[in-house]
Amino acid sequence: MKRLCGGARGGRGRSPLHELRSAGTGRSPVTTRVLLIALIFLPALAHAYAGPGAGFAVLSSFWAIFVAFLYSFYALMTWPFRQLFRFIRRRNAYGKATFERAVILGFDGMDPELADRFMNEGRLPNLAKLRDKGTFSKLRTTFPPISPVAWSTFMTGVNPGKHNIYDFLARDTSNYLPFLSSAEIKGPKRHIKIGKYSIPFGKTEIKGMRKGTPFWHWLGKAGIFSSVIRVPVTFPPEKFQGVLLSGMCVPDLKGSQGTFCLCTTRASSDKFREGGVRVPIERNNGVCRSYIPGPDSPLAEKAGTELRVNFEIRPEPGAQAARFAVGSEKFALKVGEYSEWIPAEFKAGLGFTAHGICRFYLKELSPEVEVYVTPVNIDPGHPDLPISHPVTYSIYLAKLFGPYATLGLAEDTWALNEHVLDDDAFLAQAYGNHEDRERMLFDALDKTKQGLCTCVFDTTDRVQHMFWRYLEEGHPAARDVPHSQHPPVIQELYERMDRLIGRVMEKIDDDTLLMVISDHGFKSFARCMNLNAWLHQNGYLTLKDGKTESGDWFEDVDWSRTRAYTMGLNGLYLNIRGREKQGIVDPAEVEALKAELQQRLNGLVDPASGAVGITGVFIADNVYRGPYTENSPDLIVGYGAGYRASWDSVMGKVTGQVFEDNIKAWSGDHCIDPRLVPGVLFSSHKFIAEKPAIVDVAPTILKLFGLALPAHFDGKAWNLAAKA
Amino acid sequence: MAIAGQAAAIAAFQFLMLTSPLAIVVVLSLVVGLLMVVLFGYASDQKAIGIAKDQLKAHLLAVRLYRDQIPVVMGSYGKILRGTGRYLKLAFKPLLYVIIPITLLIVQIDRYLGQTPIPVNAPFLLTVQLNGGDGLDDVTLDLPPEIAMTAPPVHIPAANEIVWRLVGSKEGQYHVKIVAAGQNAAKSVCVGSDLARISTVRLRGHFWARMFSSAESALPETSPIESISINYPDRNVEIAGYGMNWIWLFFILSMIAGFIFKELLGIQI
Repeated sequence: MKRLCGGARGGRGRSPLHELRSAGTGRSPVTTRVLLIALIFLPALAHAYAGPGAGFAVLSSFWAIFVAFLYSFYALMTWPFRQLFRFIRRRNAYGKATFERAVILGFDGMDPELADRFMNEGRLPNLAKLRDKGTFSKLRTTFPPISPVAWSTFMTGVNPGKHNIYDFLARDTSNYLPFLSSAEIKGPKRHIKIGKYSIPFGKTEIKGMRKGTPFWHWLGKAGIFSSVIRVPVTFPPEKFQGVLLSGMCVPDLKGSQGTFCLCTTRASSDKFREGGVRVPIERNNGVCRSYIPGPDSPLAEKAGTELRVNFEIRPEPGAQAARFAVGSEKFALKVGEYSEWIPAEFKAGLGFTAHGICRFYLKELSPEVEVYVTPVNIDPGHPDLPISHPVTYSIYLAKLFGPYATLGLAEDTWALNEHVLDDDAFLAQAYGNHEDRERMLFDALDKTKQGLCTCVFDTTDRVQHMFWRYLEEGHPAARDVPHSQHPPVIQELYERMDRLIGRVMEKIDDDTLLMVISDHGFKSFARCMNLNAWLHQNGYLTLKDGKTESGDWFEDVDWSRTRAYTMGLNGLYLNIRGREKQGIVDPAEVEALKAELQQRLNGLVDPASGAVGITGVFIADNVYRGPYTENSPDLIVGYGAGYRASWDSVMGKVTGQVFEDNIKAWSGDHCIDPRLVPGVLFSSHKFIAEKPAIVDVAPTILKLFGLALPAHFDGKAWNLAAKA
Repeated sequence: MAIAGQAAAIAAFQFLMLTSPLAIVVVLSLVVGLLMVVLFGYASDQKAIGIAKDQLKAHLLAVRLYRDQIPVVMGSYGKILRGTGRYLKLAFKPLLYVIIPITLLIVQIDRYLGQTPIPVNAPFLLTVQLNGGDGLDDVTLDLPPEIAMTAPPVHIPAANEIVWRLVGSKEGQYHVKIVAAGQNAAKSVCVGSDLARISTVRLRGHFWARMFSSAESALPETSPIESISINYPDRNVEIAGYGMNWIWLFFILSMIAGFIFKELLGIQI
């Protein structure tokens, strides 16, 4: 596995500087140098006739210097005035700060019990140092313990009732269909028809649905600079004093949360259940041709007219390798190898082009040809949607480090679930993204000597989701592999994160506060529960006459006889008259129905195992407060350890079985009872805090920088025991 | 008006027939721009140049992104300078491949476009420089019938030079013969108005200078004459009523052509 992780990255793992060094060495033969010297000493005419080649080189290089000079002149000339202005306006931003800098590393899903276990085994020496010198504690998470919810609370310092994020999905009460809870993207409203084209006029509207103010905005107002990298639910990016690269919830170029593509010569009419499409490869005279499906054409009259980028594969006879041609890009891949990020330009006509990037993975060449293509990410060097603040920040990172994944859920868990990728290929992809993130973090550390530097790593979450099956014996998703042969993927993950901490610790001094936090912990996901099936079997949800099951999104549900339903990961909704379009529950009966469901579901036992499938059902009114509670589910279902909502239940499907084994690679989860999956809190300095919670992070940081806490904050600032 | 129209028509005809200097410069710029871009593309490490340019852009953006943080800004300036050096190093070898042929080509083109022939009946100066001042009084000039001397020669002992003022009465290529210390040397003279290959100077020795400024063979090593030169008028290429040396126009047009072709061909420069 290690071999492939390294090998699959190929040249991509090398730094651009390294490549530059290789490229620049040993290429000038002696004769070339002699000629150059001769030219230098030629009469003036030769210099005058340097021509376009020299002109380009000189212009390009001097242009850089010239622009830099202009910038520097501007910056130096205006710097005293800007400093004075800032001084007057912000009254010495760092005057009351306890630390010059705060570095917050978010390890999505790092589990305190696993961290403790691995520390005690001596596997995590750097985290152990933080524990011994500073703080190590469980960090209470949110209701429900889902990343977009918890990270929204982290950044805003408020409960979901004030930031309006309760799940990845929210439901439309007019049609019971889901929509993405974090952002809404609408194309231009006006179009003008010219010939076969329907030309859009106006801007694409991107509306952030998360409410509340991230704490780095408060810092910015006080003149404190922040670098914020890939914190979930920061799309669309908002203006503040600092730089930000959006994280989880950034869509791919198709507008989805990640649609991979399997190009194959195998005939199959099966559709992927999750996040992918199958595209045929046509073979002709040894050349294979296929395409990458892209976004809908913005110029097409009919919606759903897909743009495509064609590509060619030429297998090399006798070798497990092939040459690819994608537009003007040409590259070679061996079987089991990823390409670098390849630009994919989807041309709609009239100069409209959508700029994406994707990676190719050559799965198989014989007897069939199969190529996996990652979801087409928004090109960070040419973003068609804003994915950073300022817009130039994503471009800056792309120029500095090369293209990188921009999709919110960049690690393609769906492809592993669908067996399109195997374990090794998935890990190669995940750690490839992780390395890019590390480079961004260290650049931000170099650039942010004062202020806030925060970066969230998703690898911890994705790898635990997909490889928990190897951590415990008898997991249904890994029953065919003897436990002794289970690779220590999660252990290696924690060790890798620990090494990262070690390198960060080398970069900081005692005037820097380092915090390592996670939004939630992790537990096994061995058994699925279809709550819609339970509601159906217990008379709360009714199907149309003659139906025993329902398709996705309540296709066959009879709303006129349904009192409760669930969609998403933890939310349970009542079908309330006056709120839902076909609501039948009288508002006067709502409280009684909630109590009844709470009482019946709480402690629900899985008959097959005798274990408790639901350990807590929480009435939303008791856990949320704020202006957006009306959008919350009515009840939050807390599944027991080992349980989670079934894949079907999440998608509003009603099946015959309530409980079933989870045999997918996605074998660990955290969308359960929040009391069972707290996150972690490590810090370089000791905090005195009783039962710290993720909601406390924002007030704590503001307090440490000497700022007053906004009155609407729900979290409480922790006290620093002593500054060493 | 009619005369202007006629002149414009003639200019257009000459342009299309590639007999006007402007047409030659335009076409030459396009061709050279294309060739140079292609040559640069083949001779360079395109990937490394792309990375070097991206890094430069990144550091420029860093100056803007972190403009309130002077240490970051100053650090970025340093990186910009280093990056520029790295870029120039990468451009060095392909630049050589580009510079050498184009330099030789342009030297040849300059023979035609750098100066105009001596107009008929217009006076011009023929300057002979000796390698010593002793024989200045013994130098004589033998002229063809179409070229006449209009004033006695001027001796400039301090520069070892003799200058004659001459005039050509008929278009054509002629040779004037200079006799010094018993040795003969000839110098071509071009009189007329058409495009012609012009040599402004004939030299003894001076290999590099001869390569770049003379279109004639070298004077014999034993000759007492160091150089024979003629002050041909500089040619200005007219564009939009503004005259300029063809080199400037060529430089600008070939750059524009190069930038266009590099985009079309996807070549990093």
